[in-house]
This record gives sequence, structure tokens and C-alpha cells, in this order.
Amino acid sequence: MVLAQRIRRNWHWYALIAAPLGLFLLFVAWPTINAFRLSLYERQGQEEVFVGLDHYVTLLNNQVFIDAVTNTVLLGVAFLAIVIPLALVLASLMNGIRHFSTPLKVIYFLPQITSSVAIALVFQHIFQPDWGLLNGILHGVGIQDTPLWLAEPRMTLTGSRAAVTILAVWMGLGYFLIIILAGLQTVPRDLYDAAAVDGASPTQAWRHITLPGLRPILIFLIMTGIIDAMARFSDLWMLGGPNGTPARSLQSLVGFMYRTAFESNNINLASAVAVIFFMIVLLITAVNYGLFLRRDHTTVA
Amino acid sequence: MTLLRRPARWTRTGDPIETGPRWSTRRQASAYAILIAGAMVFIVPFWWMFATSLSRRANSGLPRVPNFWPGDPSDFNYMVASANLPLFRFYFNSFVTVLAVTLGYLFFSSLAGYVFAKGRFPGRGLLFLVFLTTLFIPFPMQMIPLYLLMRDMGLNNTLAGLVVPFLVGGFGIFLMRQAMLSVPDDLVDAARLDGASEFRIYRAVMLPLVKPTLVTLAVISILWRWNDILWPLLVNSDRNLYTVTQGLALAGRTDGLRAGVAMATAAMAIFPVVVAYIIFQRWIIRGIATTGTRG
Repeated sequence: MVLAQRIRRNWHWYALIAAPLGLFLLFVAWPTINAFRLSLYERQGQEEVFVGLDHYVTLLNNQVFIDAVTNTVLLGVAFLAIVIPLALVLASLMNGIRHFSTPLKVIYFLPQITSSVAIALVFQHIFQPDWGLLNGILHGVGIQDTPLWLAEPRMTLTGSRAAVTILAVWMGLGYFLIIILAGLQTVPRDLYDAAAVDGASPTQAWRHITLPGLRPILIFLIMTGIIDAMARFSDLWMLGGPNGTPARSLQSLVGFMYRTAFESNNINLASAVAVIFFMIVLLITAVNYGLFLRRDHTTVA
Repeated sequence: MTLLRRPARWTRTGDPIETGPRWSTRRQASAYAILIAGAMVFIVPFWWMFATSLSRRANSGLPRVPNFWPGDPSDFNYMVASANLPLFRFYFNSFVTVLAVTLGYLFFSSLAGYVFAKGRFPGRGLLFLVFLTTLFIPFPMQMIPLYLLMRDMGLNNTLAGLVVPFLVGGFGIFLMRQAMLSVPDDLVDAARLDGASEFRIYRAVMLPLVKPTLVTLAVISILWRWNDILWPLLVNSDRNLYTVTQGLALAGRTDGLRAGVAMATAAMAIFPVVVAYIIFQRWIIRGIATTGTRG
């Protein structure tokens, strides 16, 4: 009774939240739940038939799917392993200079505001083996045997996977740099002055003052970076099409999902891909949480 | 997921806090050298795109050694690119959908944010949790069922189909709630005593106070929707309703080897965005640095 009264008295709050809640349930919550449901059914003519985990079994026995997962993970790990140290060094340098850091930031951040589709279109030509910008420069500095880049599907340091990793680093560096720099700028100069009085070199100050303060930000960047890397699609799709040409070397998990749903027209199987994608993201988040964040909480408390 | 940590560059009294190490002039000079060399790596591809877009000969193969200014500058490629694709039409489509999504997203996020920040009613915690649970679920998880929903609602191949799924999101609500929590309750109570309705308090008291957060959210929403290709690819196959990114993808498939035309198309898509970016860079970079989200 009391609860009913409190609900009646607060009707105006429910009225305000009704529209956002309705839209949210229809366009966000329901599709998420429906992905799980669809992955357990099979469309036969006009009917949906329950098939349990059949689609998952099919997927785990499908080498193309397994390759898409490994490829996505591999590209993601390579990207993060390069972009984070690089952004860390450049942000530290930018934190040490007194002037012009704003125009430099603006330039480094430029690819972030440009659509990855437009950038992929430009880099398709930059990586062109015969007259592309990159090989042109390599040729100019005296390298005769220039690489094939996007046309080389094998796992080499100058193949298609390396090319898209260079592209990803070029596109993403500005974001990582800005986030790390924002973290660096919370460290007051007094700390550096104190270290200098104690006779610490700038490198030692970086190692013992700058780096420890960045820990939570680096963890944040790794966690969100992995999730973004698992969801990578547009540039790979633009450069390699839905099949990840050449030889599926650019096949991504989301690309595989897209192809299964809209080219093979198998919505149910594609939903199982979506659920596995979700599970992988969930697993990575949980592992990261266990590895880093829990330790942080205990040390803070 | 947000960092929600602003750089502590000002003390409470308003004096700026000096941050960063004190480096010797020589050390700073080498830092500049490395940073400027790095900046070149970002400028050169854009410049090369521009130079190539001006070259008519680029369509039949480029010289082996890259040219940074064409021997035959002309607007030929731009004419061909605009004749091939109705880019203005694509711009219009992108502009309308991004504007609609952003206005709706700001409205619903701030409205729900207000309810969760200042409302006291049974079920508030539970409802907020419902919004938050989907915060960490990446879009590809929902896209296939969402596509089926659009098809059933008859929104495939309409501009509305590019708008409605993105009007409400957990992230926007969370961000707005955080911003509104920091507004003192006294202000809200005073307005209530004056007899203002909750909607009026939201509109006249709250919104003006959280403008910086609204700007941040707008930046994130604009970048996110303007640059997206995945969702338009799914729900929109009508050439007249193509967004700029879809037009670019089309150009990538058809102009494959005609470098001049392809670069002119890319340039026409990139330049307006770059101009807007240079004008608003302060808000864009700050918005992304404080939330850790890039749309």
C-alpha cells in the first residue's frame, strides 16, 4: 500500500523517464536479448525451429571462423603492442615542451576525426606496390626490392597484416596520445622539482614519477583498446572486402558476422557469431579486471 | 567506460598548477625534433592525397618517385568525382541523420540523467542499472537483431532507420547523470518551492549548468555517427540515401585504380570535416580527453 502510494506520488518522475526507457528497451535491450534467442533457432521456411547449440558446434568446426577470430586477436595484439609504447613516449615528450603542444596535438589527432573509410581509401593508394607513396619513399631512399604490402597475404613484416597494423597505429595514435597526455598533466611540477633536488635524472624521474601515475590510464586504454580491436571492421572491410582479401588475411570477426548474415543470409548462424563475440569481450574484460583492477582496489583500501 | 578525470591544472583558488618536468633547452630541442618529425608522418599522407587529387595524369599511373606537387594541376578529378557521385546528396543525408541523432541523444540523455541524478522514487536504482548493463556491450552484438527490427518496422532504406536506434544509450545517460549530480540540490529545491514543474527545472535550471558536458556528448555523438559505415551498410542500400562514408566505399570499389579521382573523392569527404575540426578542436580534444570515448 505504502509502495503504491509512493509510486503514485512520484508519477512525474516515471513520466519523464518513460520515453528514454521505451526507446532503450526497444532499440538496445531487446536486440541484445534477441541475439541470444536467434542463435538457438534455425529458420526453416516460414517457421523458426529450436536447434539448441547446433550453430555453435557448426562454428567451432568451421576453420574460416576460427581463423577470423585468431586474425582479429592477432591484429589487435600487434596494434596495442605498438601504439601504447609509442603514444607513451610521444606524450612524455609533449609533456616536456613548453610551446606549440596544441598545434602538435591537433595534427596527431587529425586521423581520429576523419572517417576510417576515407583514410582506408587514401591508404589503399599509399600502399599500392608500384606507385604508392610508401614504396615511392622507400624507393627514393634506395630500397630496390620494395614490398607488396596489401597484396601479400603471408604472415610477414611487410604483408597485408603489417600494412593494416601500420594503418591502425597511424589512425589510433592521436587518441592514445591525448588520453595519456591528460594523465601526465595531472602530475604537478613540484614532484619533478623535488626529484631534481634529490639528484634524479629526467629519465629516472620519468621512470619513478611519470610511469606509476599512469597505471590506471594504461589499464583503461588496454581494456577499451582490446574491445575496440575485437570490433574492428570498417578499414578492414574497405581494404579487403567482406572476405578479407587477399587470402582471408584481413578477415575480421565482425566482417565474418556481416558476411554470414547478409551474404550467406544466415541470420541465426550470424547471431551465434555475435554471442561468441560478446563472450570473448566479456572474458577479456573479466580477465583484465582480475589481473589489474582488483589489485588496485586492495592496494588503495 | 569513462575516465571522468579532468586534468588538475587549477587549484581551488584559481591559480594554475604548473605540470610537467622542467627540461633543459637541449632536451626540449630534441623533443621538438622528434615531435615535428612525427607530425610530418600525419601531414604527408593528407598532402599527398591533395597533390594527387589535382593531377589528371594520376589516373593513368603515378610516377615511381612520389610527387608532392603535380605538373598539371587542375580541378579535373573533382569534376569527374562530382559527376560520378552525388556527393552533395550524400552530405545532406549524413548531415540530417547526424543532426537528428545528436539532438535526440542530447535530449534523452540529459532528461534521463536528470531523473537519475535528482529524482527520488521507487525503482530508481533498478532502472539505472538496466541502462548501465548495456554500456559495455559493443554494437556488433546488437546489429543483426536490430536490422531485423528495422525491417519489421519498415524503416529499412529510410533516413529514420539511420537515426532511431541511436537516440538513447547508456553512456550518454551515465555521463549526464554524473554531471548533474554535482549541481547542488538547493538550486533544484529552490525552483521546486517556486512551483516549477520537474520538466521546467530540467530545462531552465539544469541544462544551462551542464552545457560543457552537453558539448562533450555532442562531439562524441557527431564523430561516432558521421564516421560510421557498418550500420548504414546494413540498413541502407538505396543510393539516394547513402551517407558520405557509403559514397566513399562506393568510390573505393569503382575508382580502384584511378588514383586522381579516388583522391579527389576522399579529399571532398575529408576537407569539410577538417575545417570543422580546426575551428572546434579545443572542444573536440577536451571532450575526448575527459571522457576517454571517441564515439
